[in-house]
Amino acid sequence: MHLSRFAATALLSVLPALARAQHLLVPMDDEQTNHLKAYGLTYNALKDGGKGEWLLNYRGGSFLLPDTPELRRRAGLDGVMVQVTDDAALASIRSEMANGNMEAVPLEKAPRVAIYTAPYSPPWDDAVTLALRYAGIPYTPVWDDDVERGDLSKYDWLHLFHEDFTGQLSKFYIAYRGAPWFIEQQQKQLETAHRLGFANIPALKKDVAERVRQYVENGGFLFAMCGATETLELAIAGRDVDIANIYADGTPMDPDADAKMNWARAFAFRDVHLEMSPYVNSMSDIDGHQANVPGRRQPLGTFTLFNFSAKFDPVPSMLVQDHRSVIPDYYGVTTSFMRRTLKPGVTILAEEPGAPWVKYIHGDYGKGSWTFLGGHDPEDPQHAIGNPPTDLSLHVSSPGYRLILNNVLFPAAKKKPLKT
Amino acid sequence: MPTARSRILAAGALLLAAAMAVAAQSSDPYQQAQDFEQHERYPEAAAAYREAIRLSPGSLPAILGLERVYAQLGWTDSMLPVLDSAIAVEPRSAALRAAQLRTLRTLGDRAKAREAFDRWRHDVPHDPQAYREYARMLIADGETAAADTVLRLAQSEVGTGRGFEYELAQLRAALGLWELSAQSWRQAVADNGYLDQAATFSLMPTPVEMRPGVRRTLAAPPAQASARRVLASLELAWGDARAGWDALRVLPPDTAAIASWLDFARRAEEANAWLPARDALVAVEAQHRSADVAARAAGDALRGGDAASAIALSTGAEARLDSGAAASAVLPVHVAALAEAARPADAERLLQSYQRFLSTEQKQYMQQVIARGWIRAGNLQRARALLAQAGDSASGEASGWLALFDGDLATARRRLKPTDRSPLEMLSAVALLGRTKADKSPAAGAAFLALVRGDSARAGEEFEAAATQLPEAEPLLLSLAARLETTHGNATHAMMLWRKVVERSPESPEAPEADLEWARALRRLGDAPNAVDRLEHLILTYPQSALVPQARRELDLARQAVPSATP
Repeated sequence: MHLSRFAATALLSVLPALARAQHLLVPMDDEQTNHLKAYGLTYNALKDGGKGEWLLNYRGGSFLLPDTPELRRRAGLDGVMVQVTDDAALASIRSEMANGNMEAVPLEKAPRVAIYTAPYSPPWDDAVTLALRYAGIPYTPVWDDDVERGDLSKYDWLHLFHEDFTGQLSKFYIAYRGAPWFIEQQQKQLETAHRLGFANIPALKKDVAERVRQYVENGGFLFAMCGATETLELAIAGRDVDIANIYADGTPMDPDADAKMNWARAFAFRDVHLEMSPYVNSMSDIDGHQANVPGRRQPLGTFTLFNFSAKFDPVPSMLVQDHRSVIPDYYGVTTSFMRRTLKPGVTILAEEPGAPWVKYIHGDYGKGSWTFLGGHDPEDPQHAIGNPPTDLSLHVSSPGYRLILNNVLFPAAKKKPLKT
Repeated sequence: MPTARSRILAAGALLLAAAMAVAAQSSDPYQQAQDFEQHERYPEAAAAYREAIRLSPGSLPAILGLERVYAQLGWTDSMLPVLDSAIAVEPRSAALRAAQLRTLRTLGDRAKAREAFDRWRHDVPHDPQAYREYARMLIADGETAAADTVLRLAQSEVGTGRGFEYELAQLRAALGLWELSAQSWRQAVADNGYLDQAATFSLMPTPVEMRPGVRRTLAAPPAQASARRVLASLELAWGDARAGWDALRVLPPDTAAIASWLDFARRAEEANAWLPARDALVAVEAQHRSADVAARAAGDALRGGDAASAIALSTGAEARLDSGAAASAVLPVHVAALAEAARPADAERLLQSYQRFLSTEQKQYMQQVIARGWIRAGNLQRARALLAQAGDSASGEASGWLALFDGDLATARRRLKPTDRSPLEMLSAVALLGRTKADKSPAAGAAFLALVRGDSARAGEEFEAAATQLPEAEPLLLSLAARLETTHGNATHAMMLWRKVVERSPESPEAPEADLEWARALRRLGDAPNAVDRLEHLILTYPQSALVPQARRELDLARQAVPSATP
């Protein structure tokens, strides 16, 4: 009896504290003062062993984190708005979510992030590294040597940006063949190719593309932007086809390349027509905007994020969490993806209504998944070589950059099986 | 005296005149329409304009009036049949065709706008206006690719690229092709000088990295006045007035160049870029000897801190004016410049020589100015005597300063009052006098005297000493000392002072600034980790401080989370 009285007393002393247990709600609607760093706060909370939840479609895709002094400190330093929420308030939130198109997805483990980027590239040249640095999310740069060594398996999440996996150095040869930076880039990549046993840059990049394909097939998460989306697919489907122009590998493209491409191997596209001319700064007809081809270039509009069922489609829901549904478009080496080139089964996450192209797509491949986002930099719509880097402290609530960061956090989610 | 009869006749005449005027007005539908429009009676105005058009189908003023009024009524689509009929009557009228394009654009009908453009081209072949209007419309709508296509069409169909420089320039700027845009603008302003403002506006957003190319293009030989004017305006907008003047000064001194220099001087003055403004005025004056311009240049020189130049220019201006004119136009600047240059004796002699041309108020004002010069020269006794002559012994600002320099805080507190345009020394002095209730502080007085004399090293030492005399104002005085040490490049000593403020007076209003400046000093010394600590301390300890956003930005820079700041 004495013990049970003690136990009862102990329980009674703990119960009020439990009832007062607090959480930190990180709203992601217009009340949030720094959306981008909010992702960093969440990521680092997971990295430090904490657990969190992603409240899909609740107040712009809010995060729920444990209330710890360290998280409050970080939020204060970063200017991230957090709201202390007790259990009673949280119960009310959950009730609201249960009755609407909202779902709480547990966030368990911070993914190990790799960025495929040349060692000589400054970090400000890539929207993803800009976002990660600003948000305070650590990453590891990897390059061809690392990929060839098989190091991709060490990472949960891989990002590709505007690398040209067809090995044609983004056809910069056309306009910049005399530029010192281009010559240097070409020399370095050729040295790497030779060192790793490849005859030329296209052969090296195709092998890298194949290893990326295997990485996803074996369970990796891939996020690609800009020219990497299109060229990766061309390199994968054209593994056994000469799809590089003469200035890249010394031989012209196979005139029957279109017919020989094996689209069954690719992630997203099919029945694509390759650009055969070495003088046209385009890779194929995947890209809807053709920004670098005078006469073909399409004007920018806006793109609209689709609304998914958070309860039944949590994965695409996570990828489109945002406080805006209509976002101004922005150019890139590959700006958009023509609908008719999409494989059936590809999930369209955002499109420009009325246009023949879409902006943001996702799909599964083997045990892994991939997401492609067109364009170079959401806050630099007309980006040109030589432009100053984007300073994200001036765009702390960028809806475009949120899409990038959704992809970084998405592998941390514990996915429930789909109910459909 | 007017009789009743004459008054009645006069009134009748007035009424008749008014009736005739009304009758005249009402018979002309265009006039009626204008009256209605002026009185915002838009439905009536529309009806009247339509009647005017019915009577004169090709009447452009009536058609444009109807366009305005329909816009107010939200009936823009009703313009289309009106324009179709008018164009049928006047197919070569560029104004009507442009109105048609405008209307279709307003209605958002891109396809019909394109058709209208194609019809214009077909009906009036080789008319560059068609391409211009349509291209401008497309550029305004952000359809740069389509605009590019139209301009290429113009070049192939009209036969020349000339005449489209304006549109090309706009298009290239919209595409971010800044150097090419500058080339087109150079050509456009050469042919149409009035486009220089448009050129400036168009090229202003050029990113910093691209500006050298734009500069090269606009400054390329042969020196072209219009292009150089654009470059000068750009440099002013980009914050470098000196570069703006450099762009203009090489122009041969013809009438156009002189007009440009005068205009530049005005704009530089508006931007408080006094020395470039002075240089422009000196160049003008060298071509057209003008005492007024010289006087103005002297004033700019003084405001820009170049007392020697102000003295020389004033002397030159005075030589060309009669004494009375010189006394009002030039003397105040000359006297102030001499005082500023620590030549108060010369200033007194100069004042003496003009005194019969001065009012009492003018003389007293200049005596106060000279008194400040005596202070700068270290002769407080002479300064007091002069102020006494000026009748300032009891209440003026100068006597307040003298009291402060003597360490008499009580008197200074009564006499020193800040205004909206008070210099920094005044604000610092008033801040100190508000923070302490002490009546005396020789060290504080010595510090401010050293500051006024330009001996900032001594001022810093004295502020530190004053901090021990006035403990309640210690953080303020140490901050003043630290700022002076920073400007001298004594980072280590400055950091020590900032540290004292933070550690000994964490609740003081100066503490957040001290943390921030301490962090900046650490960053300048390459000690990013400690700079991060300081910034974090500031943000977490003073979350409500107005400096927190700046601290967050500096934290991002210290952590290399954002690219280094560019100008």
